[in-house]
Amino acid sequence: MATTLKDAVARKPVLATIRLIVPAGAARPAPPVGPALGFYRLNLMAFCKDFNARTQKYKAETPMQVTLTAYKDSTFEFVVKSPPVSWFLKKAAGIETASGRPGHNMVSSLTLRHVYEIAKLKQSDPYCKHMSIEALCKSIIGTANSMGIEIVKDL
Amino acid sequence: MLPLVRPGRAAAPLRRLCRRILLLSSSPQTPSPSSSSSPYSTKISPLLLLLSPRPSPASGGAWRWRGVSSCAVRAVDVGGEAASTSSDLSSPYLSVRIRCRKEDAEVLSEGLLCFGATSVTVDDIAAAGNLDEITITSIYAHGEDVDSSVSNAASSAGLEYKPVYETSVGKQCDWVTVVQETYESTKVINGLWVIPKWRTPPDPQAINIIINPGLAFGTGEHPTTKLCLLLLRETVKGGERLLDYGTGTGVLGIAALKMGAALSTGIDIDPQAVTSACENMMLNGIDSNKMLLYLVPTNAQAACFPNIDKSEENKPTGGLELKSSKGSYDIVAANILLNPLLELVEDIIGYAKPGGIVAVSGILTEQVPKVEEAYSRYLENISVSEIDGWACLQGSRKA
Repeated sequence: MATTLKDAVARKPVLATIRLIVPAGAARPAPPVGPALGFYRLNLMAFCKDFNARTQKYKAETPMQVTLTAYKDSTFEFVVKSPPVSWFLKKAAGIETASGRPGHNMVSSLTLRHVYEIAKLKQSDPYCKHMSIEALCKSIIGTANSMGIEIVKDL
Repeated sequence: MLPLVRPGRAAAPLRRLCRRILLLSSSPQTPSPSSSSSPYSTKISPLLLLLSPRPSPASGGAWRWRGVSSCAVRAVDVGGEAASTSSDLSSPYLSVRIRCRKEDAEVLSEGLLCFGATSVTVDDIAAAGNLDEITITSIYAHGEDVDSSVSNAASSAGLEYKPVYETSVGKQCDWVTVVQETYESTKVINGLWVIPKWRTPPDPQAINIIINPGLAFGTGEHPTTKLCLLLLRETVKGGERLLDYGTGTGVLGIAALKMGAALSTGIDIDPQAVTSACENMMLNGIDSNKMLLYLVPTNAQAACFPNIDKSEENKPTGGLELKSSKGSYDIVAANILLNPLLELVEDIIGYAKPGGIVAVSGILTEQVPKVEEAYSRYLENISVSEIDGWACLQGSRKA
């Protein structure tokens, strides 16, 4: 990657960093995009069109993490990343919402194999490439624990 | 009645209490919008199928896009309401301003997104200067339990303190009526301009297309719109019939008419687009029998939807008229997205007459091969033009 997001920050004065979760191919100028970008007077339509075009390759409605950097001159850049780990965990466990009291109420359980598969998927995300599978697994287990999903060796 | 409160941390519990009371009394319990409706499965394989073939090594998988935010998004006020079709547009949202330590901002934002926030904005970290704390603004859908979300996020981020926050309710329409003054007239090429409704054309002699953008696509400054307008410039000689597939603001249809086409037809699946196109048609003084607009259902079969034109007559035969016009258009322009283009190949081609020009856009340069593959069955003399990483593919329909 020629320029990282950090270099971009050094180049132009940054106004704000906006993180969103937007369903792939379905960005509209309504929430979550609308209020977040509208507040900084960013070109919503252009973002929606661009984001939708770039996420055509993913299954529709998959929630993608987007990080936008808004610059002081009203321009912006954005990067599309893979869906959040919590979403993968919920899909794998077949649950809608995480536990209300993690640590006390366990909602579901997954095996190490699930964790490994998710880690492999996450590694294809260029922003996690530098992490080893082991480190990714550990962080996924951490997220699972905070959601009330138990990780066991074998189901 | 209220106990004396020391400033600082002790204020937080009191504030929380007030918030809870406020939230409980002001908003009825609305079910939080479900983010995904796809069926859940405990097997692994669906997970792997989620991401289709990995992005090519060249593209690297993550993309950057520089955008100029000169476009203002104004609510379509034809008919008065901005919240005509989608209820999302008018429902209020919760804007939560959270203060936390600078170094915790990253992790806390992650946590917030995990636990229900729809977006998290961090104001520029560098500008905070010597301040220890910065503010994160987070947006939640109406009715979400902000308090538990913030505390879950804080504990998962490993913060030992509970960040102080304040909630305010934002209304959707505010951001839509955003700075119109920053939206500039766009010059597509010499002699062709797209002007926002509230500006005067800098070159009165040129072909000026006046647009009120509203909530539809097609404001003139996106590269794909420019590509299509340039194509129309080359191909419209006079007297053609154009079909604008996915008309948005109607910019392409209006442009063609101004360049000398005989008839423009615009179709779209989004009612807001059709309303916006109707308004723009009137702004440009286009006669209603020169430009027809249809709202088509998403399965792209124009069944029996009424024809929406200037006189707002609901002709029940509208859909049939559209169907019967298949195979009669000299030019078909479709500026949408890759997936719809691939699914609707036959429908799009079907509208063009043999030898007619078909132009498709809204695709990135890297997506061109796929489109070419799908369309080469029906088109010959295929050529591709590009601006800024966006491409437009055109060809003429095989006889």
